[in-house]
Amino acid sequence: MIPASWFLALSGVLFALGVLAFLIKKDLLLMFLAVEVMLNAANLAFVAFARRHGLLEGQAAVFFIITVAAAEAAVGLAIILLVFRRKKTVKADEISVLKG
Amino acid sequence: MTSWPALLPLAILAAGALILLVFEAFLKSRNKAYQGYAALAFVVSSGAVLIVAWDRDWAFFRGSLRLDNFGILLGLILTAAAAFVVLLGLRYVPLAGSNIGEFYPLLLFALSGAVIMLTTTNLLVVFLGLEVLSVSSYALAGLRLHDEKSSEAALKYFLLGSFASAVFVFGLALSFGASKSFDISALFKNLRPGSGTEVLGLAGLAFLLAGLAFKMAVVPFHMWTPDVYQGAPTPVAAFFSVGPKAVGFAVLLRLTAPLLGEGLRDDALHGLLTVLAVLTLIVPNLAALRQTDIKRLLAYSSIAHAGYLLLAVLAGDPEKLVFYLIVYLFMNVGAFAAVTALCRKDEERNTIEDFAGLGFQSPWLGALFSVFLLSLAGFPPTAGFLAKFYVFSSAARAGLVPLVILAVLASLVSVYYYLKVVVVMYMRPAPRATETDVQSPALLLVLFLCLYGVLQLGVNPGALMHLIRRAVAVLL
Repeated sequence: MIPASWFLALSGVLFALGVLAFLIKKDLLLMFLAVEVMLNAANLAFVAFARRHGLLEGQAAVFFIITVAAAEAAVGLAIILLVFRRKKTVKADEISVLKG
Repeated sequence: MTSWPALLPLAILAAGALILLVFEAFLKSRNKAYQGYAALAFVVSSGAVLIVAWDRDWAFFRGSLRLDNFGILLGLILTAAAAFVVLLGLRYVPLAGSNIGEFYPLLLFALSGAVIMLTTTNLLVVFLGLEVLSVSSYALAGLRLHDEKSSEAALKYFLLGSFASAVFVFGLALSFGASKSFDISALFKNLRPGSGTEVLGLAGLAFLLAGLAFKMAVVPFHMWTPDVYQGAPTPVAAFFSVGPKAVGFAVLLRLTAPLLGEGLRDDALHGLLTVLAVLTLIVPNLAALRQTDIKRLLAYSSIAHAGYLLLAVLAGDPEKLVFYLIVYLFMNVGAFAAVTALCRKDEERNTIEDFAGLGFQSPWLGALFSVFLLSLAGFPPTAGFLAKFYVFSSAARAGLVPLVILAVLASLVSVYYYLKVVVVMYMRPAPRATETDVQSPALLLVLFLCLYGVLQLGVNPGALMHLIRRAVAVLL
C-alpha cells in the first residue's frame, strides 16, 4: 500500500507547480488552469490527511471544493469571455488600461 | 443544540436575491428602483433578525452556524454597509444604463457570503462563505459591461481572487492535517512545541493568513485593490472597501482568539503579522501621494487603514479593532457616497480635477466630503481621530512603541493626500459649469447618516464601546 505521505508530497509539488505556472504564464486561460491545479492539490492533500487520520471530514471537504471550483469557473470564464470579446486577446500583458 | 432561527438572516438574504433575479428576468420594466427598495427591505429585515438574535446564541448544523454576539455585531456592520450601498445604487443604477439590473441580487449574495463567514467557527464553512462573497464580487466588479475598465477590474479581481482562494484552501488542508479538525480554535493547540505537527500547522496558518490578507487588502497582497476600485462601479467599490476587509479581520480575530489574552505573544504569528503591518503602513501611504484618480486614492487609503487595523490585532485588542471597523465604515462609505454624487449619465467623474470648485458649487457636498476626508486622515473631533487614538494607545500599552511611531508617521503622510483633495475642492476654480445634482434623497440620506456616525462616535463613543465589549467577550 502506498503511504499517505507520498500523496502529501505529490500534493505539495502540484501546488508549487500551480503557483509557478500562475506567476509565469501570460495567458489568462492558462493562469486560470494553474489555479485549478492548486485547488486540486488541496483536494489531494485533504484526501491524504483523511486517510491518514481516518476522518471522513477531509473527504467531505473535497466535494465542497469541487463544487466551489465549478462555480468559480462559471463566473471566471464568463469574465474572460467578456474581455476577449472586447479586446480580441487573452494575453494578460495586453490588458492594461488600469495602472498607476 | 439546534435552533432554526439561526438560519434566518442567511435565508432572507439568499431568498431575496433569488426572488430579485427572477423578477429581473421576467419583468421588463425599465425602472429598476423597485429592485432597490426590495433589496433594502431584505437587508434591513436580515439585520433585524440579527438584532433579535443578540444574546441568544442560536446555533445550527451542530454549531457550524452560530449566531454569537461577535458574529452578530460584525454582521450588523456588514448589513449597514450593504444598506448604504443599496441606497447609493438607487442613484447610481439609473445613471449607468439598463444592463446593471443584477446589481442588487449580486450584492445580496455577497452580503450572505459575508454573513456566513462571520457566524461560524468552522474553517470549511468560512471557506464556503469566502467563495460566495468572492464569486459574487467578481461579477459585481464587472457590471458596467460597456466599460473597458470595469471588465478589466473584474478580470484582475477574478484571477488574483481565485489564486488567493486556492492558497487559502491549501492552508485549510494543511491545518486540517495538523489539527485533525476544522474548528477555528483547534489550530493553535497544535502550534505548541513538541506536539509533532507544529511545522505543518504553522505552514497551514501562513497559507490561511495569505488568503485572508488578500481579502483584507494587506501589503504585499494588495495589488488588485487600486485597479479593482477604479474599474468597479463606485457603490460597489464602497462595498469592497468595507465588506471583505471587515470580514477578513473578523476571521483573523477568531483565528487568533486563543492568543489574544496574552497580547499575541506567539512568536511565529507575531513575526508574520508585524512584517505585514510594517509593509502595510509604509507602502500605500507613499503610493497614494501620486494618485490622480480619487477611487485609486481611496483604494490606497483603504489599504493604509488595514495597516492600522493590523496594529490593533498585534496589540491583542479586539475592542478597539471593532470600533475602528465601525468608524471606518461610516467615514469610508461617506467618502464614496460623495464620489457617487459626482457621477453623471454614463460617465463616472473620478479624477481629482473633477472636484475643482466643488466646495463653492455645492457647498453641502463639499463640506461633507471634507469632513469624511478629515476623519480618514484622523483629525479631531471626528471619529477617525478617536479610532486611531484608541488603537495607537493600546498598541503602545502592549509594548509596540516602534510600530506606533511608524503608524503616527504614516498617518502624518496620509494627511497630505487627503488634504490635497480638500484643497482642490476649495482653492481651484471649476473648469466648466458642472452641475452636481445631489437631490437624490437616497444619496443625501447616506451622506447624513455617515456624517452622524462620524461626528457622534467622535464625541460620544461610550454606548457603542459598551456593546462592543459585550460582543468580543465571546472571543476571550
